[in-house]
Amino acid sequence: MADIVLSNVHKVYGHVVAVKDINLDIKDREFVVLVGPSGCGKSTTLRMIAGLEEISGGTIAIGGRVVNHLQPKDRDIAMVFQNYALYQHMSVRDNLAFGLRNRRVPPAEIAAAVSRAARILSIEALLDRRPYQLSGGQQQRVALGRCIVRNPKVFLFDEPLSNLDAQLRAQMRLELKELRLRVPTTSIFVTHDQTEAMTLGDRIVVMKDGFVQQVGTPLELYRRPANRFVASFIGSPSMNFLTVNVTADGDHFSLACRELRFRLPTGRFPDLGSRVGRSVCVGVRPQHIRLGAPANEKHIAFKGTVMVTEQLGDEQLLAVRVGDSEIRIAGVDPDLTLPTGSQIEAAVATDNLHFFDELGETH
Amino acid sequence: MKDVAAAPARSKGFFSSLAPRGRTVFFALTAVAVCLLFAFPVFWLVLTSLRPGTGVYYVHRGTEFTIDNFHDVLSQEIVIKALFNSFMISTLATLLSLGVTATSGYMLSRFKGPIPNTWFSLIYIFRCVPYVAWVLPLYFVTQRLNIFDSYWGLVLPHVAVHICFFSWIMKGFFDGIDPSMEYAAMIDGCSRWGAFWRVAMPAAIPGLTALAILCWLYTWNEFLFALILTAHETPILTVVMAQFVHELGMEWHLMSATAVIALGPALIVTLFGQRYVIRGLRI
Repeated sequence: MADIVLSNVHKVYGHVVAVKDINLDIKDREFVVLVGPSGCGKSTTLRMIAGLEEISGGTIAIGGRVVNHLQPKDRDIAMVFQNYALYQHMSVRDNLAFGLRNRRVPPAEIAAAVSRAARILSIEALLDRRPYQLSGGQQQRVALGRCIVRNPKVFLFDEPLSNLDAQLRAQMRLELKELRLRVPTTSIFVTHDQTEAMTLGDRIVVMKDGFVQQVGTPLELYRRPANRFVASFIGSPSMNFLTVNVTADGDHFSLACRELRFRLPTGRFPDLGSRVGRSVCVGVRPQHIRLGAPANEKHIAFKGTVMVTEQLGDEQLLAVRVGDSEIRIAGVDPDLTLPTGSQIEAAVATDNLHFFDELGETH
Repeated sequence: MKDVAAAPARSKGFFSSLAPRGRTVFFALTAVAVCLLFAFPVFWLVLTSLRPGTGVYYVHRGTEFTIDNFHDVLSQEIVIKALFNSFMISTLATLLSLGVTATSGYMLSRFKGPIPNTWFSLIYIFRCVPYVAWVLPLYFVTQRLNIFDSYWGLVLPHVAVHICFFSWIMKGFFDGIDPSMEYAAMIDGCSRWGAFWRVAMPAAIPGLTALAILCWLYTWNEFLFALILTAHETPILTVVMAQFVHELGMEWHLMSATAVIALGPALIVTLFGQRYVIRGLRI
């Protein structure tokens, strides 16, 4: 068990900055997810913590000990790789025992630890098989077993679920959560999938272009995204954005984008005062838009034309043309028949509006 | 209920799948012709080795066959010695080459930087040097090092050539092995060297086997180095075979018998490792 502290960690490949000044404080037994698009530096950060990449600057401390110059084997960590990285020439049992044998643990203890790990992950029947005889999900379990058998201070996961099909991925997510309860250990999980990030993480670190965009709990990120990138990355379907011009209109702000126009009371949106005469980006999640007329004055309404409907069984997703923009609406009654080209009216509570300036920062 | 498996699609056959639309016969004939082209000399060699000395020029007409040629050849001390030497030198050169090419191929596959780049360039340059051009300098080097006409005098030049030619093949094999397995080993308590030795090397066994077979056959069949870099002390089979052509005439029957004997181990090695060799040559 250990906390992990990253102070001004950065990584440079030649002239390319892969990771820029990351500061992160991960508490003991916390499960932190690094999420972001390809090339955002999340895997590089994880590999620096593992010791598989040298650090260009800053310090990484695990359990209060700076590990910058320690070999991976001396950091007391375990890692699950995207492609499992099982030793193909060894049986599952030997795969699990490999790390313990390297640390010269007595054979009786190794056998006990291997059985315990196998029991936790329900892979007892597979112990004498070779990795190539296992399915993807089984291989993933063995890879997890290889981690927990050593009882390390830290678990590192490098996109471990991305090679699995959607159904198995959902199942493994649940198993990972159960595993956390049984083996509570400080963990860092790297993924590009926001669903994995939201469901698994105690806290999420959103990264882009080597920079940390926001650190927070899943709900903080969902409800109060720090910028437009986080807002668009977290949540599915992605948040709708609309650039509008702000003008003052008595005790209201008037927000307009071509024929779309709505008013917001100045008292409830004081921050918009600084944007009068300029444009602002309004974000609204597809789930926060309801079909029908506005319920009260705290809602704004708009009309649009249905372009595409996607039936999911428990809900429908709509793509609606509003002026020049396309707005996505989620959570629509699946029994509602909405042919392409039909006119709809929709409303959204003003509390659910997000405002971003032209730099994409939350306003 | 018994599983009813879908009937497999009817196999179209090897030739028809390669050459559809009625060209099968043409393709089959070509294949047979190519096989004959390669097999016929071997067939003729075996036939010649079984003919008496007087009949070698009339192999196609004679009906007299004998195994005396083999008896004659195997009763010559130099042939036995050459067989032993060729075997030892091939085996030694293979073992040493494997040791160096495995590490060299691993370095070329996994590491970037000035040292691997220089090594890569060196190998590339030496590969471009015509094979024949190596012989004369090597003759002087082996003389100077006092290893001329000894095992080392032939093994080391062979190893040098193997490094240049086979490091590339080995690099290809390691490129095909996922490096995250080695990272996992490093996290599991291995040093970089330990990860190479305990994880990457076992995973490269098919590649190493292919390479071992190629190295062994290459050395076993090699003639030029053996001719120039050895003399009476270390007779080599390919050279001894050629010495049946001498000023008194050409003893084709004895030469053929020796060649057939030399063919034996090579054939065994090739049959044993055919699968690996094909894989090795594809890279």
